[in-house]
Amino acid sequence: MAEVVLKDVVKSYGSIYAVNHVSLKVEDGEFVALVGPSGCGKTTTLNLVAGLIPLTRGEIWIGDREVSGLDPKDRDIAMVFQNYALYPNKSVYKNLAFPLQMRRLGRAEIDSKVQAAAKVLDITHLLERKPRELSGGQQQRVALGRALVRDPRAFLMDEPLSNLDAKLRVQMRSEIKRFHQDMKATVIYVTHDQLEAVTMADKMAVMNGGFLQQYDSPANVFANPVNMFVASFIGSPAMSLIPLEAGSDGGTTVLRSPEGWSFALDGRNAAKVAKAKGKRVVLGARHSTVRLLPNAEPGTVPGKVYTVEPTGDVTFAQVFVSGALVNVSLPPTYAIRPDETVNVLFDQARMHLFDGETEMALTA
Amino acid sequence: MEQSPTTRRIDGWRWSGRLFLTFLLGFTVMPMAWMFITSLKTGFAAMQYPPQWWPAEPTLENYWRLIDPSSSVGQDFLHYFWNSMWVSTLTTVLAVAVAVPAAYAFSRFRFPGRNFLFFAVLLRNMFPAVVFLVPLFILMKVLGLVNTHGSLVLTYLTFGLPLAIWLLKGFYDNIPIQLEQAARIDGATRFQAFFLIVMPLSTPGIIATSIYSFIGAWNEYIYAYTFLTKHDQMTLPVGIQRFFSENATDWPGLMAATFLMSVPVVVLFLVLQRYFVRALTEGAVKH
Repeated sequence: MAEVVLKDVVKSYGSIYAVNHVSLKVEDGEFVALVGPSGCGKTTTLNLVAGLIPLTRGEIWIGDREVSGLDPKDRDIAMVFQNYALYPNKSVYKNLAFPLQMRRLGRAEIDSKVQAAAKVLDITHLLERKPRELSGGQQQRVALGRALVRDPRAFLMDEPLSNLDAKLRVQMRSEIKRFHQDMKATVIYVTHDQLEAVTMADKMAVMNGGFLQQYDSPANVFANPVNMFVASFIGSPAMSLIPLEAGSDGGTTVLRSPEGWSFALDGRNAAKVAKAKGKRVVLGARHSTVRLLPNAEPGTVPGKVYTVEPTGDVTFAQVFVSGALVNVSLPPTYAIRPDETVNVLFDQARMHLFDGETEMALTA
Repeated sequence: MEQSPTTRRIDGWRWSGRLFLTFLLGFTVMPMAWMFITSLKTGFAAMQYPPQWWPAEPTLENYWRLIDPSSSVGQDFLHYFWNSMWVSTLTTVLAVAVAVPAAYAFSRFRFPGRNFLFFAVLLRNMFPAVVFLVPLFILMKVLGLVNTHGSLVLTYLTFGLPLAIWLLKGFYDNIPIQLEQAARIDGATRFQAFFLIVMPLSTPGIIATSIYSFIGAWNEYIYAYTFLTKHDQMTLPVGIQRFFSENATDWPGLMAATFLMSVPVVVLFLVLQRYFVRALTEGAVKH
């Protein structure tokens, strides 16, 4: 296995930049998820690493070799595709053997490697079948097998789980994670599902509009999103964002709503707000950090319940606060009805503040 | 359960449909049956009125004559047959050789003028073939190709290629590009990915395309009649005219020759018809 390094990578189609000056380093044996909404450039980035499309500018290194201009076959990587891309006219055995045949290995060596890979993935009994005779989960395993059979320097995976049903997806998720741990494999994994990224990856690279937004461990991305996009993309339900205005009330910094109410910030949050370029500040709150109180107290703001969604062990409510929808999680016993007026309290220690002009996170 | 009026109405439709299809079957089979029956008759029996539905003394004499290289009729027939086979095969091989890369490029690559070129390729098929007769004749004359099989092969390619490209493009469109990408990552060059992965998957398309080209060339009459004046060059559709003469027409001989002429096409079709049908329905449903 080897590290993968992207240096200032650019891919443009005419005046459209699909990948815009992306730099990142995937350490040897690390599992990195490229995550973002459709069209954010994550798959393009993966295809650039694979060499399936030519680079416009920048460099890509795999191990100690620059591979920027090399053919896919010379990059010594393996890839798992969303639709698995198993060769439909070849048996499972021949699918697994193909990468080895292309490398002109001897018949005996091919056979032992195919058998070993099949054993690891528990598909030995399927070797004589054709791909169309396999279930989705089995096809997925064969695709993984074809990737690992020749011991590549890095694995690239393009949404490998999105064609599976929900139950199988959870199962294969843990299998791929286990596979990564056992093989100590370098993996670059593209997904639009932030939950997959958070649960599987050592690090996640959040992309939007061709730009790399944030590259950090899932825990850090979750706790300290660098901007409003990352904040709202990571986490489910999404972080609520409420546009407010910074002001001062008798010396203390307050956030004021166009609706007329305001609440005071503690010292650390006041310091953050002081760094904002203008007066516009966006308050970010995750559902678990918002409380509903029976009576108005200092620090609470008025809200109106919009929807109530019981899920069993948690009830999610959406509450209108200053014109924005705020997600709140409540114990299932909590009595609440749509259109009810409630008192909302934000946790000052865990709230996020963003500059309304630049959309960047404010830090103390 | 009582039958609903809707079911009865559908049954009515079904029966009238069957009746119509039976009529249609008779309509298409009759001429062929009559051709075969006549070919078994003697010259005298063929002219009898009222006609014999089945010859009293069926004979294969007409066939033996055609495939007998020592008779003058057989000599000519075998020569025409060979000319037709050669022209049709060459047309087919060239059509596939050009259509495969062309269709692949139209399917896979985005290049300037792609849509225009594809339209231009299909444009030829919007005109009746006879429109090009005189211009192509002049062109062949200038090129010195009149009375050569090259003139026919070139002409048939201009007719067959657009259809071949269009058919094959449909096949390539249906082969996921990820298969080639996977092959290239697995260590194949672009060409290997095409020959080892894509080509085998498009075999049904290539076979269907070959049949279309072959049949088109095999049956073509008007260009062969115009471009070729020398006897030893003629293809079957033109050549079998020698059975018509000023005084008499050898009907049984003509029918036997026609029957033999249709054998290669029918055999090709019967053996490969599943590919043929697949080509026409390819892309109709999502797999």
